[in-house]
Amino acid sequence: MKWKVLAASVLLGLSSAAHAVTASEVQTFTLANGMKFIVLESHTIPNANMYTFWKVGSRNEAPGITGLSHFFEHMMFNGSKNFGPKAFDRTMEAKGGSNNAYTSNDLTVYQDWFPASSLETIFTLESDRIAHLSIDPKMVASERGVVLSERSTGLENSNMRMLHEEINGVAFRAHPYSWSVIGNESDIKAWTQEDLQRYFNTYYAPNNAVAVIVGDVKADAVKKLATRYFGTIPARALPPAVRTVEPEQKGERRVFVAKESATSANLVFAYKIPQANHADYYALEVLQTLLGDGKTSRLYRALVEQQLATQVSASSMEGFDPGLMYISAVAAANVTPAQLEQAMLAALNDLVQNGVTAEELQKVKNQKLLNYYRALETINGKAQQLGNYEVLFGDYKKLFEVPAAYERLTPADIQTVAARYLKKSQRTVGVLAARED
Amino acid sequence: MHHTTKHTLRPAVAALAGALALAAASAHSAEFRLPQFETVKLPSGLTLYLMERHEVPLISVRAVIKAGAVQDGAQAGLSNLTGDALLLGSRSHSKAEIDQAFDFRGARLAGGAGTESSTVQANFAKLDSATLLPLFAEIIQQPGFDAAELAKLRTRKVNGLKQAKESPRNVVNQYYRAMLFGATPYGQPAGGTVQSVTALTQQDVQQYYQRYYRPDNAAIIVVGDFDTAAMRAQLASLFGGWQASGPALPAPDYGKVQADRARVWLVNKPDAIETTFIIGGVGIARNDPDYVPLQVLNTIVGGRFTSWLNDELRVNSGLTYGARSEFATLSQTGTFAMSSFTALPKTAAALELANQTYQRLWTKGIDAATLESAKAYVKGQFPPRYETGEQLAGLLGDMYASNVGREQIDNFMRDVDSLTPQRAKQLVDAHFPRLKLQTLLIGKADAIRATAASYGEVTELQISADGFQP
Repeated sequence: MKWKVLAASVLLGLSSAAHAVTASEVQTFTLANGMKFIVLESHTIPNANMYTFWKVGSRNEAPGITGLSHFFEHMMFNGSKNFGPKAFDRTMEAKGGSNNAYTSNDLTVYQDWFPASSLETIFTLESDRIAHLSIDPKMVASERGVVLSERSTGLENSNMRMLHEEINGVAFRAHPYSWSVIGNESDIKAWTQEDLQRYFNTYYAPNNAVAVIVGDVKADAVKKLATRYFGTIPARALPPAVRTVEPEQKGERRVFVAKESATSANLVFAYKIPQANHADYYALEVLQTLLGDGKTSRLYRALVEQQLATQVSASSMEGFDPGLMYISAVAAANVTPAQLEQAMLAALNDLVQNGVTAEELQKVKNQKLLNYYRALETINGKAQQLGNYEVLFGDYKKLFEVPAAYERLTPADIQTVAARYLKKSQRTVGVLAARED
Repeated sequence: MHHTTKHTLRPAVAALAGALALAAASAHSAEFRLPQFETVKLPSGLTLYLMERHEVPLISVRAVIKAGAVQDGAQAGLSNLTGDALLLGSRSHSKAEIDQAFDFRGARLAGGAGTESSTVQANFAKLDSATLLPLFAEIIQQPGFDAAELAKLRTRKVNGLKQAKESPRNVVNQYYRAMLFGATPYGQPAGGTVQSVTALTQQDVQQYYQRYYRPDNAAIIVVGDFDTAAMRAQLASLFGGWQASGPALPAPDYGKVQADRARVWLVNKPDAIETTFIIGGVGIARNDPDYVPLQVLNTIVGGRFTSWLNDELRVNSGLTYGARSEFATLSQTGTFAMSSFTALPKTAAALELANQTYQRLWTKGIDAATLESAKAYVKGQFPPRYETGEQLAGLLGDMYASNVGREQIDNFMRDVDSLTPQRAKQLVDAHFPRLKLQTLLIGKADAIRATAASYGEVTELQISADGFQP
């Protein structure tokens, strides 16, 4: 059969890439205060990066302070003891570095990209803000405007973003995944200096962070510098655990969003799925790819090729707590949300009832494997992946088990998870259109 | 989708994507060279670029054709439709067979046509080269343009054109280009309009292909894990039969920026909750000798987080999530654009601050420390842009399409290092448009009409109307 040949070519072709990075090349150390470092030397370009993963995100918030994790991420750039407002960015850029940061439901991640020779500058800047952040009320005021603009530009420019916000609010009625990472407008306008100070004290303990450094560096030099700059920051109590467990969903939920400028309907099915670090993770990943990735995917063939939709996608939350898998489509002109919903449902039911062939599964395994290596082609991809596996899956070494985890899956595994999770009672259906019918 | 970030500013060095590449160098070396590659010209006029890289067992291949929206004439969107239609199957393989062949090997295949060039690109595992490269060659040389598939693609594109206008960010640059270049080829929207694309036929696509997809107007670029001699032989065999017919294609003038007076285009989006804007004028061509130093200067104005525009509009005043500027280059000329967005009630304040900040280029000038910082920044952010085979293939493609010689790349460090405050001042006077600026606004016209009028002669458009011209 054809697929056997294909599988062989992919696996053989990539066997040397598998050796490009191995778990044994990764070095780790933990400072006395509990801050963990993961270091991977990579000398293809004269650059390096530092990704700092903090185990705090919107799941750690409560009504009244929704969006605070993300706002706090912004405030981390607005001044510390030895580097006043603006000095963090100015110092880094003058040394050839740039930075960004992102906040998700589960994590806040700070990213620095720099010439490897600027490593000590980066450690100076990072350690100063972790040890001695100053929260200047004037900066808080202007940053509120920035974040309100960030929120509104997302809603102005993305129908899907608006729809996802509403879906999460309906799919979760108790757990903090209910609100958007950026938060409610009223909370953005209302949180106080005390809220910010308390957030910093609670979550920005060095023992609540993992730093990943990849690039043209020497691991022993990184360790020496890390000890010098981060080692004196005192450990603190770890943040309290998130208590709320979302009650079981007892039936389908629906939400409609009206947006005047929408030229066609947007449809999303959101299914409850388990947390990232769950035995079904890889089977669900395969399920998602075979539904929505590429022109031979199930939904592309059923919806786009059939002229019912112009685009389809499938994606998941990857978090510490049970989340959602989103299956989305944008309707073609003159296709009603109901028509699109029926066709999407038919495609999902077919998967649940008839499962997948060995050939289709092999295709997805090949796609997953090549994408795995593509993600590890750059120093930034390596840092991102190592950090993700360390914090979300509990161990960076699990990154290196990914090819084997996919290889083990059988068609029966895929059908089993399809039947387990693609259930009506576990579904939230969201529709966005110009007006309600 | 569930991530919310510090900023989405794309540094102007991203625009350097075409300009430079590095050699693997030691950490402290300031030496950047384009990695070694071989250029071959076949008797048919087809140019081959071959760059071996063995870090990962992947191969990136792309075909670049010097044909784009500027050749559309009265049929806006024809080039773009043709570029995508190449993926609808060849004379010997159906679309389903081609999609299957690539998807089942975890390979990627994509097409696209822009203003002046069209690209088909693929990325696959080394050992699949024997199977996929011949298919790739077929896609380029023997497209089928199946009528039923083409009709579906056209309908999808028309839907996409309607949907694009739901998001000001998606269409703001097309309006700006239409405003600056008017009815010239550079003013054409690459994707066309609902009306123009609806009217395109299979015959139009076939004729466009016949006329412009010819070997003396194209390059095949391969970067990755292969042996150059073997790859050269394989490409010569796969593409050797491709022949050009008729006289060489002319290279007409594609249009000039119209900025004889300050103008404002106000695009009305009645449900807008913010105003999206661009302010600017004429810029430079992609192969302008001052291209590299101008990237450094633009870094200061609006090409990084601490740039003047982002510092004033975001950090100091909280008017926006981000403000930036760029020289968007074309082969014959280009545009300069400052861009941002702000809540409706803050429109007047943001426009005033953007204009005022920009004038600092002349009222205060660039100080030596800021210039040194920008130089360090541009150099430091450079290497990761050419880390992968895919990135390097993109660079070689841009160089071919825009007639950029390797000297622009090889002299990069020298051109950055030698930039002095005096030279910077000369470059500012020569290339940044100071007066008669062009302003494009997308927002709720009723709320911002009066503000718009203070920046020049106003033309009002409706975002719901087809196309990008009044």
